[in-house]
Amino acid sequence: MSTLLEKHIVELLQERDEKAISLLYDNYANTLYGVAYKVVKDEDLAQDVVQESFVKIWKKSDSYDASKAKLFTWLFRITRNTAIDKLRSVNTKSDKEIQIDVSDVYNLGVNTTRPEFMDVKEHLDKIEPKYKIVLDALFFEGMTQQEASEELDIPLGTIKSRLKIGLRELRKIYGTSMVLTMIVSLIS
Amino acid sequence: MTEKIKIFLDSDLLEKYLLGATSTEESLQVERYIAMHPEVRETYNELQENLEAFAKLHALKAPEGLKNNILYRIRQQKRSTSKFFKYAIAASFTALIFAGSSYFFYNQNKNLQEENTLVTNKIKDLEMDMQVQLEDIRNQYIVLNNPNTKRYSVNGNKKASELKAVAYVNPVKKLSYINVSNLPQLPEDKCFQMWAEVNGEMVNLGIIKDIDNKEKLWALPYADNAVGYITIEQQGGNATPTVQNIVANINY
Repeated sequence: MSTLLEKHIVELLQERDEKAISLLYDNYANTLYGVAYKVVKDEDLAQDVVQESFVKIWKKSDSYDASKAKLFTWLFRITRNTAIDKLRSVNTKSDKEIQIDVSDVYNLGVNTTRPEFMDVKEHLDKIEPKYKIVLDALFFEGMTQQEASEELDIPLGTIKSRLKIGLRELRKIYGTSMVLTMIVSLIS
Repeated sequence: MTEKIKIFLDSDLLEKYLLGATSTEESLQVERYIAMHPEVRETYNELQENLEAFAKLHALKAPEGLKNNILYRIRQQKRSTSKFFKYAIAASFTALIFAGSSYFFYNQNKNLQEENTLVTNKIKDLEMDMQVQLEDIRNQYIVLNNPNTKRYSVNGNKKASELKAVAYVNPVKKLSYINVSNLPQLPEDKCFQMWAEVNGEMVNLGIIKDIDNKEKLWALPYADNAVGYITIEQQGGNATPTVQNIVANINY
C-alpha cells in the first residue's frame, strides 16, 4: 500500500469522513479478516471481529498517531486485541468451543482453496514451516521469544536465529509483492 | 550499539509493543527508546514492515456483505451520536426554560407578597383612620345633642371683626368643639392659628385652613377653665402664639 493512500485515509479518518472506512475496508479487510481468523479460527467469529474492529477504528479514529505507528500496525493491534477478547468471551461458554473446532476444520479447507488466495498461499508455502511457526508465535500468538522457546520446546538461541531467517525469507517474498502493489496502484 | 539498547532489544518488549500487548507503563518506556535511539527506531520500523507483510500473507477473502454491514453500523453510530446531541440540546433547552420560568414565578410571587403586605398595611391604616373619625363623629354627635352642652358664640375683636365661631362645651362628657363659620380675608403670607390654654400651658391646635368648610367641628382639648384663642400668624404657623395678634378668645 502506498503511503500516499495511507495519508489520504488518515486525513479522511480525522475529518470523520465515512469514505475512510470504505477505503480502509477495500485495502485492509482481507488481511484483517485473515488476522482475525488466525486468532479465533472460525469464519463467523472472524467476521464479527472484523466488524467490531471497524466500528472501534471509526470510534477511535482521532486517537491514531502516525508518529507512533504505521496505519497497518494500528489496525492490526485493534483487530488482534478484539479477536483475543472475542476468543476469551467465547471460550467461557464450553458449548461453543466444540462448534469452533468443527467449523475450524471445515472452513480452513474452503478458504485456502479459493483461487484468489492461491498466490498468497504459495508465498506462505515458500517459508519453511519451522520459520513460520516462530513467526506465527511472534506475530499472532503474541508470545515473547522466551515464551515461544518454552511453548515450542525449542532453545531460545534457535528461536532467535529462526526468527531472523524467517524474517529474511519474508522480506524476499514481500519485496516482490511490494513492487507488484506499487505497479497496481500506479495503474489504477 | 550500547549494552543498554542490546538488552532492551533482547527483552521482546518492542515486539509486545508492536502487537499492542504492552501495559501503559511499558508502552511509554518503549516509546522513549524509539524516540531516543535510532537503532531501536529502525528495528521497530522493520518489525512493522514485517508484520504487515506477514499478515498480508494470511489474507483471506472477507465474506460478501461484510462491508455493507460495517458501513451500516457506522452510519447507525453516527446517527445515534447526532441523535444523542439532539436530545441533549432539547434537554438543556427545556432545563433553561424551566429555570427561566421558575425564576419568573419566584419573582412574581415575591412581588405579590410585597404588594399583599402593602395592601394589608393600608387597610389597617384606613381602619384606624376610620375608627378615629368615627369616634370623632360620635363625640360630635354627643356634644351637639347633649342637653348639658353649653353653646358659646365667639366674635372676633377689632383686628378681625368678621370672625364668627361657635364653641360647644360639655362639662359632663368633658368634650369641647369649635365651629368656625366665617373668617376675614387675610394677606397671602398670614394665616389663622388655633390655640388652647389648658392648665396654664399653651397647646397648638393647628392652622385653620378650610375656611370654605363651614361645617367642620374642631375638637378642643377639654379642661376646666381652659381658654381657646385664635391668632393671626405668619403663613405656615407658629410654635407659640403671638399675643398681640389674638383676634378671638373662648372661655369654657
